[in-house]
Amino acid sequence: MKTANFYLKKKMEEVFIIEPNDLSISFLTNFYKKLTAYLKTTPFIIIIPLSFLVGLVIYLIFGYLIVRLTTLLQHGF
Amino acid sequence: MVFKKEQILVNFIASLILVFRNFFFLIFYPYKTMRKISLEKDYWQILIIFFLVFLYFKLSYFLKDNPYPASFTFFAFLVNFFLTAGFFYFLSKLIKKKNRAASFKSLFFSLSYSLFPTLIWFESVSLLYLILPPPRTTSILGISFSIFFIAYSLSLFFWKLILVFLALRFSLRLSFYQILYLWLLYLIWFIPYSILLYHSKAFRVPFI
Repeated sequence: MKTANFYLKKKMEEVFIIEPNDLSISFLTNFYKKLTAYLKTTPFIIIIPLSFLVGLVIYLIFGYLIVRLTTLLQHGF
Repeated sequence: MVFKKEQILVNFIASLILVFRNFFFLIFYPYKTMRKISLEKDYWQILIIFFLVFLYFKLSYFLKDNPYPASFTFFAFLVNFFLTAGFFYFLSKLIKKKNRAASFKSLFFSLSYSLFPTLIWFESVSLLYLILPPPRTTSILGISFSIFFIAYSLSLFFWKLILVFLALRFSLRLSFYQILYLWLLYLIWFIPYSILLYHSKAFRVPFI
């Protein structure tokens, strides 16, 4: 029982390590909480489609410049 | 003496397993994992991460045309890393004057783990350099690859932003606005510094 209490206390301390974020405006705080809920676990479900969308938008706006950017980045290591 | 050697070996293997476990969990549970990492005390893990970074510099040394030795680029990386960590730590102390919870050790651990997306990007770009060397063309295949490559780079970049945000949040106990403010201040000196590194050919894309 003592061990269980010890681990529970340790876990509670870990979970409450920081105060919840308050962005001053309730709409923004709610939006932040909804967005971060998706990013806290398996964020790639959102990140991968978003990145492809941004990549496509970059191509549609800047055209062939995306090829030059890729060449530059491929030399970037 | 034998006991000490065995102890070191056991500690090293345990830390190695923990590093790969944390790397894996940072993909699926970045929030929980970064919270745990910010409470870490095992310095072997940092040594392992830094050794992986050094291995990368060794690899890039053989691939680049006119490179600096791996030890030099590794030293430049260490300067980058400690400048970044020191900047965030001291400014967080200025922002929150009674911020006793902020810990440099915690920041050191969490920022080291946030190097994981950077390592993946640099390693994969080095390998791609061998498989599909630049320049890219404006053919359909070239453009498709470019869109894919930019999307791949962006996804790692977004993941990196999340990890750095969590690192600052858990180790320095800052709020969202305070972290944004620190990032803006960081970019003010880091962008010219990166251009300097670019012109000196140390890092074309900053390793951070």
